[in-house]
Amino acid sequence: MEPFFDWLDDRTNFRAARRHLLEEPLPPGTGWWFVTGSLLLFLLGVQLLTGIVLSMYYVPSSESAYDSVRFIMTQVTFGRILRGLHFFGASFIVVAAVVHMLRVVAFASYKKPREVTWMTGVLLLLIILGFALSGYLLPWDQRAYWATTVTINIARSMPIFGEQMAGVLRGGDTLGALTLLRWYSAHVFLLPAALIVFTVAHLYLMRRHGISGPITPVEGASQPFYPAHALKDTIVIAFMFAALLTLAITVRAPLDAIADPSDATYVPRPEWYFLSLFQLLKYFPGRLEPIATMVIPGLVVGLLFLLPFFDRGTERRPSRRRAVMTVSCGGLLVLAVLTSLGLRDTPRTADANQWAPLSLAGYEFAHDVRCETCHQVGGVANPIAETIARRDPEWLVAHVRDPQMIAPDLRPVPSGAMTEGQGRAVVAYMRRVRAGASAPAHTPNQPAITVYGRYCSTCHAIDGEGATVAPDLSHVGAKHDAMWLREWITDPASVQFDATMPPFGERLNEGQMTAIVNYLAARK
Amino acid sequence: MIRKVTERRRFLAAAVNSIQGVVGGTLAVLLGGAVVGPSFLRRRETWLKAAPLDALTEDEPTPVTLRVRRQDGFTQTVERYVVFLVKSGERVTALSSTCTHLGCRVSWDSEAKQLKCPCHGGVYDRTGAVIAGPPPSPLATMTTRVDGDQVFIQA
Repeated sequence: MEPFFDWLDDRTNFRAARRHLLEEPLPPGTGWWFVTGSLLLFLLGVQLLTGIVLSMYYVPSSESAYDSVRFIMTQVTFGRILRGLHFFGASFIVVAAVVHMLRVVAFASYKKPREVTWMTGVLLLLIILGFALSGYLLPWDQRAYWATTVTINIARSMPIFGEQMAGVLRGGDTLGALTLLRWYSAHVFLLPAALIVFTVAHLYLMRRHGISGPITPVEGASQPFYPAHALKDTIVIAFMFAALLTLAITVRAPLDAIADPSDATYVPRPEWYFLSLFQLLKYFPGRLEPIATMVIPGLVVGLLFLLPFFDRGTERRPSRRRAVMTVSCGGLLVLAVLTSLGLRDTPRTADANQWAPLSLAGYEFAHDVRCETCHQVGGVANPIAETIARRDPEWLVAHVRDPQMIAPDLRPVPSGAMTEGQGRAVVAYMRRVRAGASAPAHTPNQPAITVYGRYCSTCHAIDGEGATVAPDLSHVGAKHDAMWLREWITDPASVQFDATMPPFGERLNEGQMTAIVNYLAARK
Repeated sequence: MIRKVTERRRFLAAAVNSIQGVVGGTLAVLLGGAVVGPSFLRRRETWLKAAPLDALTEDEPTPVTLRVRRQDGFTQTVERYVVFLVKSGERVTALSSTCTHLGCRVSWDSEAKQLKCPCHGGVYDRTGAVIAGPPPSPLATMTTRVDGDQVFIQA
């Protein structure tokens, strides 16, 4: 091989380039604190590689994005782990970037002649946050949709150009297919290009001025980067990669139900690294909002950007740079407090396998001979448990109530068909199927569940599913006992003269009545 | 002294290279697996209802359209293709209608009692064996099963 490398070196001078890269002279005493930059570079590399492979399976369209992400999670070899690496890797990068920045602040590494190196670093931080923000929308689940709605509305609250800004971010007048495409484009073309340009600039400047080294210079000759310091970098990188991989293997990267713009019950929350901003918003209501969305973040970024010009002079010891250290630590503390306040009222991600009574009832109704004449293997339609329902809920309800009806509301539903409540229940079940839920092991209180699905659910919700016209029944047992419930369901007007709920005494048989009463009374 | 320094350097370099090798190797397996994996996925075969037994004529290939639901990446497609069912006594064989030459669709010529390919003149008999033309091998057969009065095909 040697003659070949000699030939290659003669033509390219690659050995000198390699030597230049590896034998970077480091000031004596350069220690473990100086590994944070390499760690960031490695983590960004992991994002780039996993991102490329994910893009082989991801489809940036509002029709298919969600299903393609679910496909990655369930069908692609190592897909779940790769998405985990990409998803959790984003958090690792934000933390590593903040640690890197703190190290630079504590060591005063931004001082002359490294001001521009620092400024490119601040730009890189903004690019990383841009990645985090744009990547968020791509799975097109509830979380993505609503968090992006909030982001765009924040842009809209900007004085003067707010409306135009929001229009550009949305790519139209509503959040939809065009929004997804432009955020995807930013995430995979624009931001990576910017990231590469500024990373190269950052590294070039780092090499041009050399690294700053320990705060109080150590006597002695400079040491080459390779292999002594490279080993420090490598060890930290290996540990961090092991931690990231463990997280990616053991924890499923979240994927909510598919985005539903008509869902009023969803509580949107951003990813943890934007929670501080989200929390800040709560303290500046109404017309003061731009203070939280523009003024404060703008000031923080401006202050960071210009830090080398505020803290001049040659002093590097933190104890002699009280102002900078106090402001930095204080800022970090405020960030931590706001984030933890935000975390405290963040609802847990819904698990598709936590079945609520409505979808359980839908499961019962859907496994009916009437459905299975067509929905079977080799039949005219897919088996229900494998059907991805892409139609809107109204179409689905109409189809379930009268399978031959393709256009809803064109003719009356035939007699003997499913009720509106049953239709809604089947649709709730189909949403679970699409969200990747496996079939429920068994249906507890099956008679009560079907009564609820058929009659009660058209007005009352339980566990987040069902209509919200009448009171939520999730904890009705804590307020009323079985006897009261039986009287009420039989004839509400006999309990309260102006009750609007219709009587069910004659519609339910004794078995059904007992089942539903006991079921509701047990819901404490 | 110099030898000691060189030895230490060599040891450190070996440590750096091997740890990076492990990290890089792990990443390569994960990324490579995801890129290559789906190419080796076997599709699931199921029994499909093909035709009632009494709809078949003795020794005469009857075309039947099969609907096979297939997972196509993240989406599902329904593939429709034509299979010839040939009943000979108790046995039913299913012949693929795809010509083994270049994949055109063969059809049954009831006068000549031959399966003919419209593209390059491939001719098969009713068992799928090549009679004339360029096809290199007989028509592919599919596993069949008769259950009661129904013929099922594995596809």
